[in-house]
Amino acid sequence: MSASSTASISSTPAAPALAGSALPLGIGVAGLAVAAAGFFIDGPQAAAAGWLTAIVFWVGIAVGMLFLIMLGYIFDAGWSVVLRRQLEHGVSVFKWLALLFVPLLLLSWFYQRGLIWRWMDPSFDFAGIGGHGTVATDILYGKKSGFLSIGFFTVRAVAYFGIWIGLAAVFRRNSFSQDSDGDPKWTLSSRKWAAAGLALTAVSSTFAVIDWVKSLEYHWFSTMYGVWYFANGIRGALSMLALISIVGLARGTFTGVVNRTHLYDVGKLMLAFTIFWAYITFSQYFLIWNANVPEETFWYNLREVLHTGEASQWKWVGMAILFGFFLVPFLYLLSYKAKVTPKLLAPVAIWILALSLLDVCYNVLPFRKDAAGDALPFLSLQLVWTLAAVAGVGGICVWSYLRSFPTSKLIPIRDPRIGESLNHRE
Amino acid sequence: MSEPVHGYLAAFDSPAEIMRAAELVRDAGFQRWDVHTPFPVHGMDSAMGLRRSRVQRFTLIGGLAGFTTGMLMIWFMNGFDYPLIVGGKPLFSPMFAFPVSYELTILFSAFGTLGGMFLLNRLPMHYHPVMKSVHWPRATDDRFFVAIDADDPQFDIVRTRAFLREIGGKDIAALEA
Repeated sequence: MSASSTASISSTPAAPALAGSALPLGIGVAGLAVAAAGFFIDGPQAAAAGWLTAIVFWVGIAVGMLFLIMLGYIFDAGWSVVLRRQLEHGVSVFKWLALLFVPLLLLSWFYQRGLIWRWMDPSFDFAGIGGHGTVATDILYGKKSGFLSIGFFTVRAVAYFGIWIGLAAVFRRNSFSQDSDGDPKWTLSSRKWAAAGLALTAVSSTFAVIDWVKSLEYHWFSTMYGVWYFANGIRGALSMLALISIVGLARGTFTGVVNRTHLYDVGKLMLAFTIFWAYITFSQYFLIWNANVPEETFWYNLREVLHTGEASQWKWVGMAILFGFFLVPFLYLLSYKAKVTPKLLAPVAIWILALSLLDVCYNVLPFRKDAAGDALPFLSLQLVWTLAAVAGVGGICVWSYLRSFPTSKLIPIRDPRIGESLNHRE
Repeated sequence: MSEPVHGYLAAFDSPAEIMRAAELVRDAGFQRWDVHTPFPVHGMDSAMGLRRSRVQRFTLIGGLAGFTTGMLMIWFMNGFDYPLIVGGKPLFSPMFAFPVSYELTILFSAFGTLGGMFLLNRLPMHYHPVMKSVHWPRATDDRFFVAIDADDPQFDIVRTRAFLREIGGKDIAALEA
């Protein structure tokens, strides 16, 4: 079994090109165009908020993939080697995500300070959104101004993308080079980079989400926030990996390479990180609920009630996340059959991706408020720009993956653990 | 021959022989039988026709019982038996009962798993009748055994012995009950 399948794979010159990379590029450009049109139709802030949501969602998935590659190396894992190549194609997206982040910086620098991140504009008047005073007179801003300045913010964004692009390039180079010369030094190099990279990626993704999302409400603080972003992103990355495997199996690309035990293991990790995400999200809510101090509770109040005391739409979004993003996938993924049957695993992977996006929306969009200080409703025109931007950025990411796909072998054929991975059984 | 027997033990000499024998025993429709080998033989589960373990049902029941116990315990203690307002919180809220329920879910799941494993394996059992066989110690060295229990619905003192000989079993011996 192992001898014949290895032989047939090494005789394959390169991975067969997946047809149709033009379609995702078309969807990407069209989605971004629609999202940008929102700038003129619904106002600059609505378009920018949707764009930011899309960036945060896709960066989370890409960072999750980077984590999965590094976890494989640091634990010297055997089972995941055949799947690692798909993750390596996946992390090719960082340079495009960096490019797509630039419009948000340009808007903040040159169009309107405080359009997205209000602290960038010292003269921003909170009276317009149900508060009082300006950023410049806000003592809580004063205390944080060393960190929250637009110049430092820009430098940090460059650093985050620099770290991710650099690490992705190192792991891609090492793995692709090993395909041709089979030298184990590439694996040893990747293992060392994984040790450093895990720390770098953990710190950079934590600070990225603090900068891009948490600072939308810069009064608020939660030490769980970086871990929440990691949990959300890695769930997206695992679901994406499951979908790639399932599509590859259905097309016959992965026949004899990816087996049900690989799917079983990805499914198990999906279940594990569903529980992990719930643990993190509940911990954040519970600590704030229990302490019950206004400096922290206002963030959840904004997402639950209007100033009149009535429940807002965001309360139901929160409930949908609680049950839809935890309880449903948790109960579903407990089943063995659901994890090993492609037709049963695909729906829950799509479901997790959709709810992951809803969770990002819940964290980003309510910073937009009306004159009474209530969050703008979830179901509004802004959702159109958000979904268009998500499809647009996603189209670019899928295009980047498909562009990378034919440039290397289907699997890392000369990885020292490739035989172990091909013969992975329960 | 009229003495009560626990079953039959038949020896085989190689992993290939024991795999073939296991498939034949499986196809003959026996329910209560086992294979003893010196090392794990890959593919034996399907050769024996073993289904997936049913332990996880006990785990699930344990987990649900643990979660319910946690919620009821906190409600009973703080909301019913000795109502006490702490930190301006309601007398009962699933929010503060949740950490306890979560821990009890894990604890009772573990109890369920362990108990279910013992129950399904018929443990504790101080010794197994195969251990009385003079041949059996070589199952830890270089021989492979099929043991068919007498409480199998198909077991027949004459025909089962003939069947084991037919599929290539050697040193076939009745086990003392």
